[in-house]
Amino acid sequence: MSMFGKGLLQGLKVTFKNLTRRSVTAHYPDVQPDLPPRSRGVIALQEENCTSCMLCARECPSWCITIDSHKETIPATTEGGRDRSQNVLDTFDIDYSLCMYCSICIEVCPFDALHWSPEFAYAEGDIVDLTHDMNRLREWMWTVPAPQALDPGAEPSKELAAYEAAAEESE
Amino acid sequence: MPDVVDVVLRCVLVLAVFMVLPLVIGQMEHKAMAHMQSRVGPMAAGGFHGWAQLLADGVKFVQKESITPVAADRRVFELAPAVALAPYLVALLAIPLGPFFGQGNLIGQDLDLGLFFVLAAMSVGVLGTLMGGLGSGNKYSYIGGMRVAAQLMSYELPMVLAAASVAMAAGTLSLVGIAQQWEPWWLITQLPGLIVFFVAGLAELQRPPFDAPLADAELVMGPLTEYGGMRFAMFLLAEYAGILVLSALTTVLFLGGWAGPFSDHIGWLWTLVKVMAVAFLVIWARVAYPRLREDQVNSLAWKVLVPVALAQITLTTVLVVA
Amino acid sequence: MSATEIVFLLFAALAVGSALLAMTTNQLVHSALWLVVTLGAVAGCFVLMTAEFVAWVQVLVYVGSVVVLVIFALMLTRQQSTISAEVTGNRWTAAVLGLVAAVGLGATVISGFHGERIEGHRIGTARSLGDALFNDWVLPFEILSGVLLAALVGAIVISRSGTER
Repeated sequence: MSMFGKGLLQGLKVTFKNLTRRSVTAHYPDVQPDLPPRSRGVIALQEENCTSCMLCARECPSWCITIDSHKETIPATTEGGRDRSQNVLDTFDIDYSLCMYCSICIEVCPFDALHWSPEFAYAEGDIVDLTHDMNRLREWMWTVPAPQALDPGAEPSKELAAYEAAAEESE
Repeated sequence: MPDVVDVVLRCVLVLAVFMVLPLVIGQMEHKAMAHMQSRVGPMAAGGFHGWAQLLADGVKFVQKESITPVAADRRVFELAPAVALAPYLVALLAIPLGPFFGQGNLIGQDLDLGLFFVLAAMSVGVLGTLMGGLGSGNKYSYIGGMRVAAQLMSYELPMVLAAASVAMAAGTLSLVGIAQQWEPWWLITQLPGLIVFFVAGLAELQRPPFDAPLADAELVMGPLTEYGGMRFAMFLLAEYAGILVLSALTTVLFLGGWAGPFSDHIGWLWTLVKVMAVAFLVIWARVAYPRLREDQVNSLAWKVLVPVALAQITLTTVLVVA
Repeated sequence: MSATEIVFLLFAALAVGSALLAMTTNQLVHSALWLVVTLGAVAGCFVLMTAEFVAWVQVLVYVGSVVVLVIFALMLTRQQSTISAEVTGNRWTAAVLGLVAAVGLGATVISGFHGERIEGHRIGTARSLGDALFNDWVLPFEILSGVLLAALVGAIVISRSGTER
């Protein structure tokens, strides 16, 4: 009997064991999912940092970023000084129906104006509403988590090391 | 109480059992199969762990349009679900539930030939799926219908033989009589018969692993492909009512029906518990085993089940005569 | 006319009517299904004549197996259900011959059993049938088993002669 029908009994055993264990289903709408750190949910814009250098719009493979800005002059603060010109953003749209969440815009931005946020529940009924404008992108900034802590035993980043070295020198 | 009232009350009770218990079995299948597959099954309908899922399904089916394909044989197509469903209701009339607080047996009608009546009713139910397969005007349903015909015909013989073995051991064809004559050692001497009856019954109901006629990867849904709405719900109810009839028959024939402590008062409860246990086995077999190929189905019936059933009859004859 | 006789006449009418429909319909599947109704009505007649065991065996064997076999054979010959059955030119000859056979058989049976009354009410049970079969009619029973065995062996021989083994 153990040679014949062994597979049959094994099948029954496996299914019964599964029956008695807790199921692995995540009860999503009632329980929020446990997202890993640095999860890519939505891109947030820190408007103050943006100089409309257009790097993100140029590098985006999907051409989903639309930027429009104009120059304003800031009068000179000192006597005989030069007037400064500053870029002011008029439009910064990200079209999430095109975005492929590749992170290139965030990696390429020299001024840290773009950040990842783990928020994912922004589905819309109309595809037009999937284009987030500047204000909405600023709102996402409040959901951007703090940078993840370094692994124990890791070396501190070069920027931090250079900053600390400069601080020591100036003392 | 007067005869007419008695008859009407019994009919109403049998109808109530027929409408409620298959739904309980269906919900058990949803939940047990889900947990065996490490998931949870329906959770939303009715609030508490989705207990009302099948009721919601019933409402959904009722409000659907029943379409008859143009190429279908209209009358055959439309009658098939009724022919598949009605025999199980009729079969439930003769299956006993057990003593009810000392008031005698709960049963629709205690027939002297109860066993034959139930087996005959189940064999008529075969025609329903067959009519569905033939009358759909669809190649896949046709092939499914051929598989149904071959499978159900092959498995009727071992089922009848295994049941005949128990009837011989009990000396009567009445289901109440068989349950009353049951002895605990029959669990051993009738064990091959129990296995043959259960496996043949699963194949009669076209339950996995014997659902080659309804193989959805190969035949869409076999004979049930063109059915939608209430007619499809009738076929599904027929499947679960069939599981109920099979479990009840297995319990009454091979597991002693209402045998157990205090069977005079709560015998009916013992029967229900055993019926649900056998139904759980049916569901367990569905989850654990892959589908048998059509030639494996036929060779299992003729090369394994029929010889074992005949051997069981021989053994029973020896035990009865000795 | 007692209620039993009225119901018997109804069942008999149903049997004859569905048999006629089975013969005259030009779709083979419908013919097989009318046969189911006929055999079921005959089983009903058996019940009314207190032969319960024979009635349920009739349903189990004829309706459950024989008709399924007939339909299976229909399906294997790949008949579309909408194609009508072939109509031979001998229809009327066959009808006349069938009528003659029916009248002849009917006359024989009626003249033989006319006036008989069914006694008692426990004669159609399995026990009484078993007693009769194994005490009074054992020899025909055994001969019938021999006939069935011959048919089975013949079927196996015929089906295997196609494949050389």
